[in-house]
Amino acid sequence: MNVSALFLALMLGVSAIAAPLPPPPVQIDVNKLPAQAKVIDRVVVPVPNEIFAVLDKLGKPRWAGLVHRDVSKAKPTGDTPQIAMMLGVIIAEGLIAVEAEDAEEVKEIGRAILTFANAIGVRKAVVRRANSVIEFADKRNWNRVRTELDGALADVREAMIELNSESLAQLVSLGGWLRGTEVVAQVVTMDFSRSGAELLHQPGLIDHFQRHIAGMKSRFRDSRLVGKVSKGLTDIRPLVGEDGSRIPEKNVREIASISGSLVKSISSKSN
Amino acid sequence: MKTLTRLFLTLLTAIAVPLAFAYVDDAHSRAMEAATPAVKEGYLVRQEYWAGSVTVRQPSAVKHQLFKGNSYWFWLGSDEDSAQVTVHVYDADGKIAEAESWQRGNMAAVKVVPKKTGTYIIVFSIEQSRAKKNRWALAYGYK
Repeated sequence: MNVSALFLALMLGVSAIAAPLPPPPVQIDVNKLPAQAKVIDRVVVPVPNEIFAVLDKLGKPRWAGLVHRDVSKAKPTGDTPQIAMMLGVIIAEGLIAVEAEDAEEVKEIGRAILTFANAIGVRKAVVRRANSVIEFADKRNWNRVRTELDGALADVREAMIELNSESLAQLVSLGGWLRGTEVVAQVVTMDFSRSGAELLHQPGLIDHFQRHIAGMKSRFRDSRLVGKVSKGLTDIRPLVGEDGSRIPEKNVREIASISGSLVKSISSKSN
Repeated sequence: MKTLTRLFLTLLTAIAVPLAFAYVDDAHSRAMEAATPAVKEGYLVRQEYWAGSVTVRQPSAVKHQLFKGNSYWFWLGSDEDSAQVTVHVYDADGKIAEAESWQRGNMAAVKVVPKKTGTYIIVFSIEQSRAKKNRWALAYGYK
């Protein structure tokens, strides 16, 4: 290649890189999504405090009365799926205790996270986060505690995936989602509003959890507790409405009752 | 021979695994750089994020649950310096749903204030790049 050809090639390369980007389409056909864009399988489950933030804007709930103080005192029990789901419940409980600004309870939660992470072999991955939860709760730096609890969830999940336990990682998220859903439904029930009820409209997430349970290895799927949770998700699914539909107060009460009973089963010694 | 093979595999893993994470981290670092102004405004950044690699002009999409009452920023980063990345958000009906967006080389961001609680679709793409395969990371924050 001579010098002028090289120069031309370079200029073409530069102009291609610097060309203005096209404006985005204002409408896409969601039914043709896989053809238009490759859909990434991974689902990032929202943390409960994303919803708590909205509830705080709708009216200050009395969070202190919603903290389950027995959760931080629980000891690992049952099979691995139960411990994984309980770890998710504990992290969600930590976020409720943060809303209640209960530093002592948050510190207890930090310790409980270590105990349960140890029971499923991911203690090392979560030690730094759990200690940070305790440290920042002591300083009452609530936003930092929220970040560290979210990080604990992410680190536990990552460590489980590295151990080829994607199923257990999903169960941690599921446990957290159930406790979050229970408390959101309780808050909405206390002072019912359409906007509050709409927060429970999460059919995509329920479908995601159900798909994961269906695709789990039989040793996890056949767990009695996982079966109970799967049935509970099936019962909750029609109550959260289709896109744009209103969720009546009766449904919210039912969602609170089902999710509450599932959380109780996850925390219980006998299943 | 078996020992040699095992040694080779161990070495390969020791090299490949940190490299794989380095790629993800670099793209995520760009996404976090893009997040800096929003963090100063009080947005809480989620610690979990999406990451992978794509070819140029191969749009990708993630589906994500958003809640009416919050506002969200999504930040996309690529580890390839020459990359031009874009990110846009659509509602469940396929209508563009963004309130604000910006694009600067291998970083782009989009703000959404959801009108409804439900599933939204985040579509992103590496529009231009000198590299064939580009690592990317997509993170989000809420307030």
